[in-house]
Amino acid sequence: MKRSLQLILLSLIIGAGLLPAQDYDRTLEFHFDDRAIVVPKFGPKVEVLSILELLGAEARYSPAAGTYGVLYGEHVIQFAVDHKVLLVDGELQEARESPSASPQGVAVSLSYLERWLLSPLGFHLEPIPRGYRIARGARFAEAVSVRPVAADFGTTTTLVLSLNRQAQVEIEETEPGSLTIHFDNATPQLDSSVPFRSRRVRSLTSTDETILINLAPGIGLISWHPLETPPRITIELGPARPTPIPAPVRAPVVSRTGPRPVVIDPGHGGDDIGAQSPTGLAEKEVTLAVARRLARTLESRGHAVRLTRDGDQSRALTDRTALANRLDATVFVSLHANASTVASVAGAETYYMSLDGASDEAAAATAALENRAGTSADDRSPLDLILWDLAQAEVLNESSRLALAVQGRLNARLGLRDRGVKQAPFVVLTGASMPAILVEVGFLSNPSEADRLTQPERQQQLAEAVAAGIEDFLGR
Amino acid sequence: MNWRVVLIAFAAVAAVALLAWLLQGGKPQIEQAEILEVEELPTPTPAPEQRVILLFAGSDGMLHPELRSVPLPEEVHERIRVVMDELLAGPRSAPRLAPPVPYEASLKAVFVDQHGNAFVDLTAPPEALTGSSTELMLAYSVVNSIILNCPEISAVQILFGGHEIDTLTGHLDLSRPLVLNKRFIAAS
Repeated sequence: MKRSLQLILLSLIIGAGLLPAQDYDRTLEFHFDDRAIVVPKFGPKVEVLSILELLGAEARYSPAAGTYGVLYGEHVIQFAVDHKVLLVDGELQEARESPSASPQGVAVSLSYLERWLLSPLGFHLEPIPRGYRIARGARFAEAVSVRPVAADFGTTTTLVLSLNRQAQVEIEETEPGSLTIHFDNATPQLDSSVPFRSRRVRSLTSTDETILINLAPGIGLISWHPLETPPRITIELGPARPTPIPAPVRAPVVSRTGPRPVVIDPGHGGDDIGAQSPTGLAEKEVTLAVARRLARTLESRGHAVRLTRDGDQSRALTDRTALANRLDATVFVSLHANASTVASVAGAETYYMSLDGASDEAAAATAALENRAGTSADDRSPLDLILWDLAQAEVLNESSRLALAVQGRLNARLGLRDRGVKQAPFVVLTGASMPAILVEVGFLSNPSEADRLTQPERQQQLAEAVAAGIEDFLGR
Repeated sequence: MNWRVVLIAFAAVAAVALLAWLLQGGKPQIEQAEILEVEELPTPTPAPEQRVILLFAGSDGMLHPELRSVPLPEEVHERIRVVMDELLAGPRSAPRLAPPVPYEASLKAVFVDQHGNAFVDLTAPPEALTGSSTELMLAYSVVNSIILNCPEISAVQILFGGHEIDTLTGHLDLSRPLVLNKRFIAAS
């Protein structure tokens, strides 16, 4: 009898082993409406194509593009294995991680799935015991806590939104008396633990990626500033303007005393050594040496001069132009030494900004921000943009004249090969509100030209030629 | 062995299986994930040969056109891939012209949005590149060659190693799509 019981017990164990077992370490269930699928899991990632198909989305791999295309209603998402970048409804986005190749095609993490593939289609994930239910309604993975505090003054109110972490935001006055704060890749959650009172703010409402602020009648946005340490946004509110005030191109000077300076920018610096000659001469050294000589030459002729760096320091490209804008410089000259993969290329060339549809919005935004001391570029009306375009066209015209004057002097004095004046959307020239050029004084990749660029006499000649070109332009 | 014991053992296995089946009964129907078919490769009939304009760097630091007749598909992603493959293969008239991408690179992916912007992802440079000329030649050989051969495309942004970049050598703004720029094409 005992032997029989042992056999029965053994049979039960074997029978249990024959059950259609589901390995929950290696699979996850995804439920949508009354359907469900089991998808393989690879570490933190899951096979994604069948999940998209479960929703009714069309997901296909295009060998020509090397990308997966997801079509769902009006939505189009393109993503690729091992690529953090993806195209979501025409907008290039960068995720924190990239999809991986998997046996059935492609696998993504759950956060990637929800943020980049489900939210744009209007879905989110809800955890259930063995996986997730796909529910309707977009929800972004990362939340940011927002604590509003307001201080009412005579005619204005300062609204401070303290954030628990750094977040990219944009603010626009969507209609009179209504502000929208757009959070990039974050869901704002209003913290109401501190009582909020203001006679100029009626309500704050958070939605998926925005906070809507309802203002009291006659109140509008004056300016806003994103600030760090601690992360916060300050918003100045005051009497609404009856008509938009155009963005002035030449801003009131905020940190300059004395005459308007020429701002000289020695290219590169610090860890960014720039190009290098075959003998090891770094571009950052050449540009600083010529810039110092240029500064001395101009100062000896009565010009005020400021350098964007006077040592081996790193400077962000945008900070260099921003300094010139803040100082209301007469001209901005960025000095560089060139390099080409073709060693025989030689000569000097001068560039000025090209908008070319590539950077005009960025340039407009930068200039508006700098010139209006923090006012949003987004509160520009069509009239602002037209005025800004006209002003920028004038600045470009002046930049072209400056470039021609400097290049002419370089050609005449140095007998260099004239590589001419060209236009390109250079970062360091973006947003300059004064005539701005970038001078390439020669090619470090050309051994004989690199050798000449090390010589103090040559550096002085270059400085004098550029100085003469600047003076030609300034009419002195 | 008593045959009754064996019978009881089989009955026990059957009972466990029945229990499992009943437990599954109240749940949604679980389907195994289907393997999606990869989009079929283009049909074997070759695309008609057409002349493409490819821009390569010359010893004057300007871009020079080289004309080739290649099978050019109509579909925009395929067309961009053909143009890029030809461009990255380098000039046929070397050493007069040099490849504009100064390292071994391939096209990893192409994204095209509904506004005619193409985003082409190239292999990242193995080491930092320098010089505005290097940057301008690379960018405008790619941007101009694609735009000149793909009428649907009006602007091109180059990505490197799957990432957007602000600039490659610290000069040109590569953070957004660039439009056709003929200023770097040598006058014939």
